[in-house]
Amino acid sequence: MLPALFPYKLLPYGFRRKYRPQRFIPKQKDLKSSYDVVIIGGGGHALACAYYLARNHGITDVCILEKGYLAGGNTARNTAIIRSNYLTPEGVRFYEQSLKLYRDLSQDFDFNILYSERGHFTLAHTDAAVRTSRWRAEVNKQLGVDSELIFPDEIARLCPHLNMSDHVRYPILGALYHPPGSIARHDAVAWGYARGATAMGAEVHQQTPVTSIIIENGTVKGVETPRGRVYANKVMQAVAGSTSVVAKMAGFRLPIRTIPLQACVSVPLKPFLDQIIVSGSLHVYVSQSSRGELVMGGSTDPYGLYSTRSTLDFKEGLLGHMLELLPMLGEVKILRQWAGMADMTPDFSPVMGLTPVKNYYIDSGWGTWGFKATPVCGLTMAHTIVNDEPHELIKPFYLDRFVEYAQVGEKGAASVGH
Amino acid sequence: MAGMNRLPAPFGTWIDRTEKISFTFEGKEIEGFAGDTIASALLANGQTMISRSFKYHRPRSVLTMAGQDSNTLVQVGDEPNCLADKRRIEPGLAVEGQNYVGSFEDDKGRFTELVERFLPVGFYYRTFHEQKKSWKAWEPIIRRMAGLGKADLKADFHHSYYDKQYLFADVAVIGGGPAGMAAALGAAEGGAEVILVDEGAEPGGSLWYARFNFDGTHGSLTRAELAAAINGRRNIRVLSNAVCTGLFADNWLPVIKDNRLYKLRAKSVVVATGSIEQPSVFRNNDLPGVMFASAAQRLIRLYGVKPGSRAVILAANDDAYGAALEMLDAGIPVAAMVDLRADVPNTEMTQAVRRAGVEIIAGHAIQEAIAGPGKTRITGAVAAPVAGDGKLGNGGRNLACDLILMSVGYSPAAHLLHHAGTKFAYDTSSHMYRPDSVPAHVFAAGSVNQAYALDAVLADGRRAGWLAARDAGYSSGAEPPAPADLGCDGVTHPWPIFPHDKGMDFVDFDEDLKYKDLINGIADGFDNVELLKRYSTVGMGPSQGKHSAVAAVRIVARETGESLNRMSVTTQRPPYTPEKFAHMAGRVFEPERRTAMHHRHLELGAQMMPAGVWWRPAYYGQKSARDQAIRDEVNAVRSNVGLIDVSTLGGLDVRGPDAAELLNRMYTFAYAKQQIGRCRYVLMTDNAGVITDDGVAVRFHDEHFYVTATTSGVDAVYRQMLWWNAQWRLDVDVANVTAAYAGVNIAGPKSREVLKRVCEGVDLSAQAFPYMGAATAEVAGIPARIMRVGFVGELGYEIHVPASQGEALWDALMAAGGQEGISPFGVEAQRVLRLEKGHIIVSQDTDGLTSVWEADMAWAVAKTKPFFVGGRSAEIQAKKPLTRKLVGFTLANDGDPCPEECHLVLQGEEIVGRVTSAVRSPSLNKVVGLAYVHPSDGEPGKQFEIKVDGGRRITGVVTKYPFYDPDNKRQEM
Amino acid sequence: MKVMNCPLNGPRNISEFAWGGEVKPMPDPASLDDHAWGDWLFLENNEAGVVREWWCHVPTSFWFIAERNTVTDEILKTYPAGELFKDRVNFAAKAEKK
Repeated sequence: MLPALFPYKLLPYGFRRKYRPQRFIPKQKDLKSSYDVVIIGGGGHALACAYYLARNHGITDVCILEKGYLAGGNTARNTAIIRSNYLTPEGVRFYEQSLKLYRDLSQDFDFNILYSERGHFTLAHTDAAVRTSRWRAEVNKQLGVDSELIFPDEIARLCPHLNMSDHVRYPILGALYHPPGSIARHDAVAWGYARGATAMGAEVHQQTPVTSIIIENGTVKGVETPRGRVYANKVMQAVAGSTSVVAKMAGFRLPIRTIPLQACVSVPLKPFLDQIIVSGSLHVYVSQSSRGELVMGGSTDPYGLYSTRSTLDFKEGLLGHMLELLPMLGEVKILRQWAGMADMTPDFSPVMGLTPVKNYYIDSGWGTWGFKATPVCGLTMAHTIVNDEPHELIKPFYLDRFVEYAQVGEKGAASVGH
Repeated sequence: MAGMNRLPAPFGTWIDRTEKISFTFEGKEIEGFAGDTIASALLANGQTMISRSFKYHRPRSVLTMAGQDSNTLVQVGDEPNCLADKRRIEPGLAVEGQNYVGSFEDDKGRFTELVERFLPVGFYYRTFHEQKKSWKAWEPIIRRMAGLGKADLKADFHHSYYDKQYLFADVAVIGGGPAGMAAALGAAEGGAEVILVDEGAEPGGSLWYARFNFDGTHGSLTRAELAAAINGRRNIRVLSNAVCTGLFADNWLPVIKDNRLYKLRAKSVVVATGSIEQPSVFRNNDLPGVMFASAAQRLIRLYGVKPGSRAVILAANDDAYGAALEMLDAGIPVAAMVDLRADVPNTEMTQAVRRAGVEIIAGHAIQEAIAGPGKTRITGAVAAPVAGDGKLGNGGRNLACDLILMSVGYSPAAHLLHHAGTKFAYDTSSHMYRPDSVPAHVFAAGSVNQAYALDAVLADGRRAGWLAARDAGYSSGAEPPAPADLGCDGVTHPWPIFPHDKGMDFVDFDEDLKYKDLINGIADGFDNVELLKRYSTVGMGPSQGKHSAVAAVRIVARETGESLNRMSVTTQRPPYTPEKFAHMAGRVFEPERRTAMHHRHLELGAQMMPAGVWWRPAYYGQKSARDQAIRDEVNAVRSNVGLIDVSTLGGLDVRGPDAAELLNRMYTFAYAKQQIGRCRYVLMTDNAGVITDDGVAVRFHDEHFYVTATTSGVDAVYRQMLWWNAQWRLDVDVANVTAAYAGVNIAGPKSREVLKRVCEGVDLSAQAFPYMGAATAEVAGIPARIMRVGFVGELGYEIHVPASQGEALWDALMAAGGQEGISPFGVEAQRVLRLEKGHIIVSQDTDGLTSVWEADMAWAVAKTKPFFVGGRSAEIQAKKPLTRKLVGFTLANDGDPCPEECHLVLQGEEIVGRVTSAVRSPSLNKVVGLAYVHPSDGEPGKQFEIKVDGGRRITGVVTKYPFYDPDNKRQEM
Repeated sequence: MKVMNCPLNGPRNISEFAWGGEVKPMPDPASLDDHAWGDWLFLENNEAGVVREWWCHVPTSFWFIAERNTVTDEILKTYPAGELFKDRVNFAAKAEKK
């Protein structure tokens, strides 16, 4: 092992008599009566925003209000896939910026987020899916993102475990291959942002829900919590599945439906799967974490619900298809299943930026695609809050794009066979 | 005897000594009996070490003997992470250890323990990131160190058999111990149909092995009585060797038994799942020889195996003393009872133990287990006086032993109750969590409900069963009273945690987490159980915190000063115990739909392709000759006559006085004035103005339209019509007759001649049956709906017949066209033919946002209708400038390669559109296609750039369509 | 697996049904300005609480209305659409446009 890669940082732990703790979040203080910026929500996006407010704009008088425990919402529940192989130019530019930030994040935080480039494969099992894969590949390439449409021979070479047989219900016809596709430890991303933001002066308040929003003459003035009233110059909400509930307090609505998204992990195994495999037609995806667990998920639940309960049918559908792709896994076992609440939009793009309430900003519409956007979200929302003007990258994701018939279609090419 | 550690009968109630079974462990031949588990057989034969721990590769062995822990995970053939203490042996089973470097006995991974001090909690977050390439270099190493079993990459799930079955019960009782058995009887008395699910070989639970009175007879007598009563009841079905892994909405229960997943729906559920014995934390509490008292009792009673040769029992309740008596009965001397309690109560059990001459050391804890060579077995215990919570005083005593039994408390096995949404409260007198509000239709009984005294357990069970039956609509007799004294106090010690300066005092065995790991995690700011879990991984291992969750809560409460009353264990999620992928998958039913002519296509050598859930012929011929086959089919249609199976296309019968009105509202075009016997194009948009489907509407009567739709769109179109009409209340009925009709399209200049030969009751001449006409007639004696539509741009007839006659129709037309050499043609040729005419394919040439204006289909939008779905949005969209336009195109230079679908259209470096369809037309010998271009390039003659493979740019020319036969003479003749 | 009590078919597993979203009766599009139409079309209440929703029993293609608590998933009642939509909906003919 090269000397440069030796884990010198671990040596002090062995040589010191007593453990020297480093708090990631300072002990919770009392709530002040006012802050420069209040952020409703304490997940990855909120923490990232506080971080960039401080780092890029010198705004440190920031208060994060989280109704549960830190980053215990979708940040704790997602399957941690990071990629920029989206369909629209707007989406590609946005997520590509996120990827760029992700690559340096461990070094920025001085904290290992276990960022691992694995290669991302979106399998296509129908002509329509191959077509959409080529569309994404072409858009990606044109914008400088590494993606390619590949075919069964190449897929078999790169993903030796996949079942490439013709004698399955839906044989694999092609795949969108995106080498920069990565995974990371989702909680670590939140903790890194939390430590960084609080070190620069932001406050994190857990178990502190917002119960109402104070608005005067169309301008937000502050929020009410069970621990007291907090005034603020600017307020942002970043609450994912609870978006509509909080927005209702601010008096406006969004084109969002909250629908559970389930996932599960296997009992840990020795490493064998390096790639991230997604099948649009079979509605399943899988990767193997550095702990050895297979992390698996599918599409959203069939109906809306404000709950993180999980179901048996989810596992049945998922594993039936998983075994078609990776038939050697029959004797592997599921360890745990869970769910998050996905705030789904009609065009599968987020809703970010300004709202009908002055000085009130929104980061929402993250559906099943939010974790990968954590850094760029924080960066662009910080800019937006400071300038009262959406950052260039998020301009297309404005709330009124629906009534203006200007959707950013990431659900893009629907597929119908004649 | 199959093992040097065997006990004679009557020990070993679950083994059959008449049937010997041989298997191998790490290549060594082991002999056991039928009924043995892998673990019991190994221990019987003196193989103590069964696994290696996750991080430090420490030897591990039996802890619960009940499948609740992960200290005996083994690899069995292609099954990784198998619970050795549950899996019964079979002849020839090949069992291997897991997670070792080199060999199982001489695992080099154990040297990790030497650097343990350099690996604090969350160590992998603190390093391996100094440079970008650090984690890239270290991750493969960390990955190899992580993980337990191996996936067998040569296995194939298709070679095994797993299936599913539905079950229904009035009352489901989960857990067949005393509480569950009593509950089943209590429920059955009222006449309810009861299903009793139990993990064991036979119901009885702890009645099989625990000691309920000093002479040990009470348990088995009780069990025999209950079993006889259950067997005598016709309305109790027992599922043994079955585990219920979750409790889902409306009492939907997965029960796994052998190769089957039962999906059990119960009106009410009694959860009688018992409790999980909890460990004490002390140095080396993880090593082989340290186990729960109940584990030792299971080994002795169920499997007839001596767990050791000399025992020390760590006690904090009466059960410990029952265990001591069991040891003595089995001929295992008990060196001492080390009792955490300063004052050991005088009970029937403690007196019996005293009478037997066993020393009782009161007010002491075990400070440390002494490890033997290689740590493969303990050789002694150090008992020290308790000086305060978690504190030990000086004056410890060494006690020689090779077995330490822990009997210091329990935690309810409440997973299913958690799944159902039960709220728990911490009981400060029993020091355990108890169910505080149980959801409707769910009942808790037995130790999961805090009942520990056997009488209370039986009464609690009976009552729960009775209540569950009443909830399901059955009741008889009076409601049984709740037991007065549950007997839960004095059963669980609130703080059996004694951290050691030298560490290796494990709180979580799965994750090799020591006491200070949790303390340090809390100090690092992860000061609630959920955050601590995620940071330290406590409770994230294969046993999901069964033995660490409560300890973690206690530790967090103590360190933060938070009250246990305001805390709970981390969220319990399904499955209760790991479930195989194969059980969840079952036989994997994937429906497919075939047309009536399916076999004809196969006989003619078709290459079939999926169209939604249907199969359709793509082309006829060898794969190696695909392109030529498609060209030949196209040529045959253009110059001669072809036949295609169009059965999959959707068909809807719309009938009633408001039939035309419904079509007017559902589609963009106008239908009120459509004549009988005429066809008209239908284009559907959703309320946001996006094109969603298309087809043809045929008017057979004032009040009857037959409407076609795309293959995979028809079901949604049908549902949408019904949804709208649920609100509009028009006088109309819609029937989805897609599967009721089979259909063909016979197309080509010779099609009329061919069809005439088999057609009766209709004049097929151009005058009598013009283009876009329709009629009903008989084709080859089969009642048929015949339409002339602009399908592939040739003279042609679409013929729909009842599906049962589809094959006969096909045969008749193929025979009728024999002299012309009629050619079957498939979807690929159809695509080419239609593209040559510029027909759009919804969802290939349109996408999730395409409006009628972008698709250049203003012609299909009626101007004066009061309303149609999508109309209002179309009005709004019409006012906005287009951002793209769908046009037909050819290539400026026909030597250029034909672009692929979704090659981009660029202006400079900006993406302004894409090619949606393109083909080198066999009929025209040049490339034709459809593409989205920038509106400024949207006029015929304009040139635009297409980026093809390799980044090359070619030039497209906007061209009016139809490309082929622009005046449509051939299709209208 | 929730049980949905279909007004036509009785209690069935919820996997037999398709969810149609919140019942929001369409106002006459001609009566709304562009912005109001867009609001009605795209914005959702997405309530956390008791919601009146459309559901379809897919095997029988029967649409009906359910009142469901979107937090607890409790289905409080189900009834045929005709109980809410009683009258035929008509659209007035368009005024002459330019």
